Amino acid sequence: MMQDFLVEIRNLRFSYPESPEILSGIDLAIEEGRVYCLMGPNGCGKSTLLDCVLGEHKPDSGKVLVDGRSITNMKPEKIARKIAYVPQIHDRSFPYTVENVTLMGRIAYRGCFERPDDADRTIALEALQSVGIAHLADKPYTQISGGEVQLVMLARALAQKTPLIVMDEPTAHLDYKNDLRFLEIVVELVRNTGTSVLVSTHSPNQPFYFESMGLDTSILMMEEGKVERVGRPSQILTEESLRELYGIQAHILTHSDSDGKTISQVVPLRTLERSW
Amino acid sequence: MTFSIKTHTATAEAITQRRYPICGWRLAPLMLLPFICVFAALFIGRYYISPADTLNALAGVVGLNRYEAASEVATLVVNVRLPRALGAAFVGMALAASGTAFQSIFKNPLTDSGLLGVSNGAGFGAAFAIVFLGGGMFVYSGAFIFGVIAVVVTYWIARIYRGTPSIMLILGGVIVSSVFSSLLSLMKYVADTDTQLPSIVYWLMGSVSSVGYESFWALIPIVLGCTILLTMSWRIDALSMGDKEARSLGVNVRAEKAVIIGAATLATAGAVCLSGAIGWVGLVIPHIGRMLTGNDNTRLLPVSMAIGSSFLVIVDTVSRTVWPSEVPLGIITALIGAPFFVHLLKKTKGGGW
Repeated sequence: MMQDFLVEIRNLRFSYPESPEILSGIDLAIEEGRVYCLMGPNGCGKSTLLDCVLGEHKPDSGKVLVDGRSITNMKPEKIARKIAYVPQIHDRSFPYTVENVTLMGRIAYRGCFERPDDADRTIALEALQSVGIAHLADKPYTQISGGEVQLVMLARALAQKTPLIVMDEPTAHLDYKNDLRFLEIVVELVRNTGTSVLVSTHSPNQPFYFESMGLDTSILMMEEGKVERVGRPSQILTEESLRELYGIQAHILTHSDSDGKTISQVVPLRTLERSW
Repeated sequence: MTFSIKTHTATAEAITQRRYPICGWRLAPLMLLPFICVFAALFIGRYYISPADTLNALAGVVGLNRYEAASEVATLVVNVRLPRALGAAFVGMALAASGTAFQSIFKNPLTDSGLLGVSNGAGFGAAFAIVFLGGGMFVYSGAFIFGVIAVVVTYWIARIYRGTPSIMLILGGVIVSSVFSSLLSLMKYVADTDTQLPSIVYWLMGSVSSVGYESFWALIPIVLGCTILLTMSWRIDALSMGDKEARSLGVNVRAEKAVIIGAATLATAGAVCLSGAIGWVGLVIPHIGRMLTGNDNTRLLPVSMAIGSSFLVIVDTVSRTVWPSEVPLGIITALIGAPFFVHLLKKTKGGGW
């Protein structure tokens, strides 16, 4: 039944005021313990869809159901106990300590006039430990690297203890190593806690990575306001589909480890002629 | 090998460096500081009163003194110095609290309590009362009412756009402030240059010299506003993450922002109508707090409030003691505060900016 889905989207349509429709009929169901990679060219509506899942936008028509309830009638703290959010890039304002930022993940569990207690602090510290930056807890988060800030954002989302974490191109601004480190932590997280992840990404190698690490991975391929294809990375990301969707010629390599693990990667070769 | 040792010590160093000057047990004495300052202010002034007489006069208030102190001495202590020191303490507290809250929810460290137009609105209200209503008590109520009206208009302007995004609030504040500052100039222009204009100018410089018990009704909005800000301090943290993140953390952004703006406005309007426009406190005291105790609002707000109120009591005591004729507060807050700020900046290395 529909209660089996963390989030269910039915025929969702959305447009910004006085603009053409940006989401034109999205159907989507998010289950527990899976990774959903939202892909598609710039401007296809990925971020808007994520905003609708977060309750940031009100749909023009259609429904976003969280645990079977319509998100438009839910209070923000109820949504925040089900769905956490990792932004693409966090705009650092004041030099809060890393611990304080992580602790803010507990706000949804406290009343309007309450403060964090020791239990909240423990949860925040555990979250920092699980992303491997507990040693930074006392540092102002304005003095750590961009990669570390992204881990703080992930820790904050973990402290929210939600069954679903929504991430908007979380590694777009990270260097090569931090990118991989972030993915490794996400893999650990999904494996150990059964949390689901809905992540938008431009890198076709990310879903391949999740798949090769043994996670149940789905690609949601968006095009012009619709989810055109859904399926496992190896089904969706073929040389033909990359040519169709992105207009690039690419080769897909499959590498086998000595211990039998295989990982596929896209090797982009060249862009194809397009009638601009 | 060398590499790992190096990073290790760097991390350890970073952690020890993070101990803020004011945290843990040191918070308690800081919270007492405003009370100590108010108490000490009663003993200080150009008219010399012996400490024993001051104590006697105070004891008289609670009905404890055995022998009568000279009555003019008692009046001076109880009816002039005490309300004045209390007024300064509450004004400092209110400006620091609302400045801290505004800086946080607008993610803008250069903001002070007047951001949404409350100061300019209040300035116009006071001038209007001086010119057309003959001054007196109308100055306080005029300042209060127009301070609140200015913020309501700002909020209304920001609501025209969907939600109340911070940038629209700030823009609205700029527009409303400029309108009220024009209106204030108009008041100055039509004011009688011998009597009314000096009163307006003096009021705009800020002073608590005329604070008496009859104007203590203004403490009600101050206390109410500060209490709301204090209880919502953790939500203020979340709001400083930006609207979208705050919402995803579970904050009802629109409603809670409105409550916080309302509370800060009440506190500031109360303060402005007691003392006129006192700059500097709402902008800089929060930063002194940030350097001393970090940015976590559950700690920063009470610390800023304590520092703001102590600071204003000290400055006011200096202003009525050092010079033969009293210098308005608005003039010396910066003169005394700036060197203190620079000293702290050097000591704390800025606190992580």
